[in-house]
Amino acid sequence: MLILITVTTLLLTAIVLLVLQFTARNFRYNWLIATGGALLGWVSVFVWQGQMPLAVQFPAWQPEALFSQSPTFVGDGIAWTFTLSLATLCLAIILTAVVRSNFPRPINWVGTLILTSLGILAVLADNPLTLVLIWAAIDISELIAQLRVVKDPALSERTVVAFASRAAGTFVLLWADMVSVAAGQALDFRSAPPEAGLYLVLAVGLRIGVLPLHLPYSGESSLRRGFGTGLRMISAASSLILLARIPPTSLASPITPYLSILVALAAVYGGWQWLRAPDELTGRPFWLIGMGSLAVAAALRANPVGAAAWSCGLILAGGALFLSSEQNKWLARALLIGAWGISGLPFSLTATGWNSGLIPPLLGWLAWPILIAAHAMLVTGFIRHSLRMTTRVSSEDQPIWAKNVYPIGISLLLLITLLLGVFGWEGTLQFGNWFAAAITSILIVGLMWLTPRLRILNPLRAHWVRPANTSWLDWGYQVLWNIYRQLGRVSNVISNVLEGESGVMWTLLVLVLFVSFFAQRNP
Amino acid sequence: MNAPTLWIIFPIGLGILLLFINNQRFLSLVGGSIAVILAAIAQFVPIEVALRVGSLSLRLDSGITILGRSLMIPPTEGSLLALIYGAAALWFFGAEASRTATRLVPLGFMIIALMVASIAVQPFLYAALFIEMAILLAIPMLTSIYRPPGRGVVRFLIYQTLAMPFILLAGWLLAGVEASPGDLALTAQSAAMLGMGFAFLLAIFPLYSWIPLLIEENSPYLVGFLLWILPTITIIFGAGFLDRYSWLRSSPQLILALRYVGLLMVVTGGAFAAFQRHLGRIMAYGSIAETGFSLLSLSLDLNLGIPILFLLIPARALGLAVWSLSLTIIKENVETMRFGEARGILRVTPLAGAGMIIATLSAGAFPLLAGFPSRLALWEGLSRESVGAALWMAIGIAGLLISAFRSLAVISMADEYTAWTARESFTQMTMLGLGMIGLFLLGLFPQAVHFFLANLPLMFEQLGR
Repeated sequence: MLILITVTTLLLTAIVLLVLQFTARNFRYNWLIATGGALLGWVSVFVWQGQMPLAVQFPAWQPEALFSQSPTFVGDGIAWTFTLSLATLCLAIILTAVVRSNFPRPINWVGTLILTSLGILAVLADNPLTLVLIWAAIDISELIAQLRVVKDPALSERTVVAFASRAAGTFVLLWADMVSVAAGQALDFRSAPPEAGLYLVLAVGLRIGVLPLHLPYSGESSLRRGFGTGLRMISAASSLILLARIPPTSLASPITPYLSILVALAAVYGGWQWLRAPDELTGRPFWLIGMGSLAVAAALRANPVGAAAWSCGLILAGGALFLSSEQNKWLARALLIGAWGISGLPFSLTATGWNSGLIPPLLGWLAWPILIAAHAMLVTGFIRHSLRMTTRVSSEDQPIWAKNVYPIGISLLLLITLLLGVFGWEGTLQFGNWFAAAITSILIVGLMWLTPRLRILNPLRAHWVRPANTSWLDWGYQVLWNIYRQLGRVSNVISNVLEGESGVMWTLLVLVLFVSFFAQRNP
Repeated sequence: MNAPTLWIIFPIGLGILLLFINNQRFLSLVGGSIAVILAAIAQFVPIEVALRVGSLSLRLDSGITILGRSLMIPPTEGSLLALIYGAAALWFFGAEASRTATRLVPLGFMIIALMVASIAVQPFLYAALFIEMAILLAIPMLTSIYRPPGRGVVRFLIYQTLAMPFILLAGWLLAGVEASPGDLALTAQSAAMLGMGFAFLLAIFPLYSWIPLLIEENSPYLVGFLLWILPTITIIFGAGFLDRYSWLRSSPQLILALRYVGLLMVVTGGAFAAFQRHLGRIMAYGSIAETGFSLLSLSLDLNLGIPILFLLIPARALGLAVWSLSLTIIKENVETMRFGEARGILRVTPLAGAGMIIATLSAGAFPLLAGFPSRLALWEGLSRESVGAALWMAIGIAGLLISAFRSLAVISMADEYTAWTARESFTQMTMLGLGMIGLFLLGLFPQAVHFFLANLPLMFEQLGR
């Protein structure tokens, strides 16, 4: 019931705003309604703590002989952490909207509220069927939101490519279900056969752009700070929740160490690009890849709590940074709380991030130093972007109430980052693997010291950053494209032959060959 | 009163009368409404049961005899008729939006009635004749007296007509098999004839080359209607053979053949769709893959396969209706449906563009859409039997999805700063909007159609029980 209260509050607020948008365009209290709804939703998430685990089951799919699962939602500790992160992000986006140049823009808040409610449903999904349904809803919503605003044809193509890559992730999850069914049981988050576990990781990897390394989110977009941040973070969170649901026993595979190394390389790539990005918004796709890779790596180490911790760090710390647009030195310093949150140090949000649920084979250890280096780059980049004031605008022209409301939004995200380190779920008050965190901290200090001294560590100029056009990535995709074109030619030849003037004869010939082939195999 | 008169003779007579009316809206509304009434009667008025209305007693008899042959609609087929006429209503209501009502509604009624007759006629041998009559009626729907018929129409007529002698021969041989069941040669011959007949009727690979040609030459809505009604009824007719002959039902070779052929249809349909550069041809290959899914469902354990087969029907009807209506509207706004011409059309006809993409995704088993639940059940069923077969099905699905993504990329790629407009008429917007909502509802709540589908397996004596 509580689940429905939270989700319905957010959805109803969105519907009210949407109705007002069409019926009373000059209505002046849209922002108050949006804030009120988001605040109520946020508060209701805290009430969950009293009754967890929560469960909601929708009407069963029929005929029941065909469908072993139906849409079901369960709120446990990990789901609560994700939900609180998403609800906080939603509230922060609406609170910080007051300083945006396009304020008031109710349609963006409608989008944020709807996406948040979908995101919350995704993190509460109790089975793969529910998760793919919510993923599809989020993907379609994101596609519509993007296509509505992009003007450049190349950007709309990239939007479709991003949609396609996420859909591929969805279908890999469905394939995991097929593999599981073939092994004798329908895929369930509580018990997945070893054959299916790696497909689950691959599904998440595809959706967030880690496996194989690609950028599912367009580097340039007019959806930047507010709604854009919500879109990116909610979409990522809805994918990353799967990592926290993979049963550790299902990951015992000889391929796991190789995957760990691949993921570590993706993490380094993301971390490096993030460190050198000219500003936080340009670097956002790499933040998602870097932090997402750390979460995937944690899942591969059979550490679902750690995967959830990295994911919430991605949302909360990232959200605070990406929503910060005003020059406010106190707030800039406060953002260092976000760096603490993702540091992996004891009692921080990500304290469990470096834990390991299994002893990795020799090959698996190779991934560790790479991952630690990536982590250090991500934190260093976060600190650098937090403290840089040049990319932010002055808040002098803002009305006094907006100047006061805006910091509340950012502070809420940082407050929850601190809170989740000490309260509410399995990952609280943990020492974690402090040794790995200590090495990371030393590396961070080293990188901070080296940054002004080494040119290579300095940010690239904005116009040099072309995240989508990395040559070796392009080369790989060009090869695939060429294969596709060659196959297309073959398909055209076959079509032309069968549909041409002599098509009937060719068709009958192929039919005879087909029948002969079949008759030979099955006398 | 009897059931064949109500669901076969009356629609044929009505279709003939409607041929003389030229008003698109009138035809669409009247045709749709009558189809809804026929569907409602089929669902709610039991056959062979006397109903008392005041002092009157009404009873729908299940059979009628004409020239020594009988048309039988048993009480268990009520839900099937409701499904067929319900879906027909959908097509007829959409006919005004596609501006094809003058052809679709009158001839559509007649074609549906003849296809229903093909299931109802006894001896079943005569089904081939009814199907052939339906095919012949489709020709005036697809051609005009002002221009010569295209290659697609000619091929459609040739391939569908070739099915008739094979089915007739099969029927004749099957009578021999019944008389001497031990004659293996005769059994093999009859199975081969039957297979060839259905291969032509269902446009099995490589006999489907007429479908893309037909859609290039004609209104996508008219072709879509044929691609819905013909394979749907033919497959039910084919399932009737499995029900009737235990040797067919228990033949492992036939099950294997159905699986191979189904996979071949899904894989080739998906693969060809992925490489097309014409929006209409993508729909053609999508419908070919749909037929493949139906054949695959018959290759499973029939207790699972038959419910899946019936679950595929509403998704196919709604999906094809939205798809073909969208294409018809797009065709009105571009010179051809080739990618080069349709570039950026999403900004000109946003609902039609969205409808086309959603229908394509639905065919490709995209979650949340009507095609997903049935394909998921089918995919899981296939995985239980063979992971290899499930992988081939995945390849076909991937092809369909690639075609959807390519289409989306093309229609969304408008020139920079092209403004959003909506050239669709109010009727078109309404029909497309309702259709898309329906696709989402069916995808999210497949149990919504369970009311219609639950009793459908009862029409068979052996299958799905």
